Amino acid sequence: MNVRVKAFARFREIIGSENTLQLNEGTPVIDALKTLSAGSLDFRDACFDKEGNVASHVVLMINGKRISSKDREKVVLHDGDELAVFPPVAGG
Amino acid sequence: MRKSIQHGAKIPPMLTRSEQDRYHRQILLIGEEGQEKLKSARVVIAGAGGLGCPVATYLAVAGVGHIRIIDHDTVDRSNLNRQILFWDKDIGLAKTWSAGEKLKSINPDIEIDAVQATIDDKTAPGLVRDVDAIVDAMDNYPARYLLNHLACTFGIPLFHGAIRGFDGQVTSIIPGKTACLACIFPEAPPIEISPVIGVTPGLIGMIQANEVIKYLLGTGELLTNRLLIWDGLRSSIETIQVERDPYCRECSHLYNDGVMREKLK
Repeated sequence: MNVRVKAFARFREIIGSENTLQLNEGTPVIDALKTLSAGSLDFRDACFDKEGNVASHVVLMINGKRISSKDREKVVLHDGDELAVFPPVAGG
Repeated sequence: MRKSIQHGAKIPPMLTRSEQDRYHRQILLIGEEGQEKLKSARVVIAGAGGLGCPVATYLAVAGVGHIRIIDHDTVDRSNLNRQILFWDKDIGLAKTWSAGEKLKSINPDIEIDAVQATIDDKTAPGLVRDVDAIVDAMDNYPARYLLNHLACTFGIPLFHGAIRGFDGQVTSIIPGKTACLACIFPEAPPIEISPVIGVTPGLIGMIQANEVIKYLLGTGELLTNRLLIWDGLRSSIETIQVERDPYCRECSHLYNDGVMREKLK
């Protein structure tokens, strides 16, 4: 299946604004992000914490719908999904 | 303690001749009635930095009648690439003093209350409870969460903006009706000294000011339940839908709660 990954802010600078991944149907979101990390250590360091979990501040959305923090480890992707990854910015 | 203001319950003040002249080009758009709404409004801007400077400038020239701007810092040379109310001659001065001076000069028809204070849980409640709108022009999430908490506690709209580099984000929050800051960003990003090009907070601050003006006038569509994302490197703006978290630590109590939360279990 194909999944589009849309990156924002600093993630966009690292991996570009959009990536299409070819994955097995039902791949967990975290595995899709690990696939992207395999091609970019900078993305891995920015998106994951030291324990290998998606950093808690990173906002994840599938098809425009936010994945809640309690669901983010178990949600899976389907063909045609758009996964958005957004690191909030903090400066003022 | 300041008297609490109920939005919309005030008798609008009449405009003076000077004000009719000053705001002529926008009275064509919003009418004297709209201008009177702005004149009778009280807005607090939390932070006189890269965001606070453009927010304050544009709310001042629009004629928001009472602007309180809060900061604890002094002007440093490294602020000058983005904090446009401060000039080279102001280095070393209190930001609030310098901002107050400029804002009073740019529009002597409004009241400026420049408050030298650190925004914390002791100072902030007394500084925000009597206003019609709170502008988040802070540079860190702990302070933003405090403003969000107070906005939810007092039922005052919060206008959020944040920046880094060429990137920015804006959203508007009406407590009890829309997603709050903790719904959208439950966890703070790591603390860092954000690199920034001055245009980014300039643009984001102006969008925040535009949101405040629309809210005070009761016109247009606010950025509620939407997060606007500015990508300055591509010159593109996107808005993404966000929604209330029924389990939100800050705002879930504002809804019919026990019932709603039970249903969602």
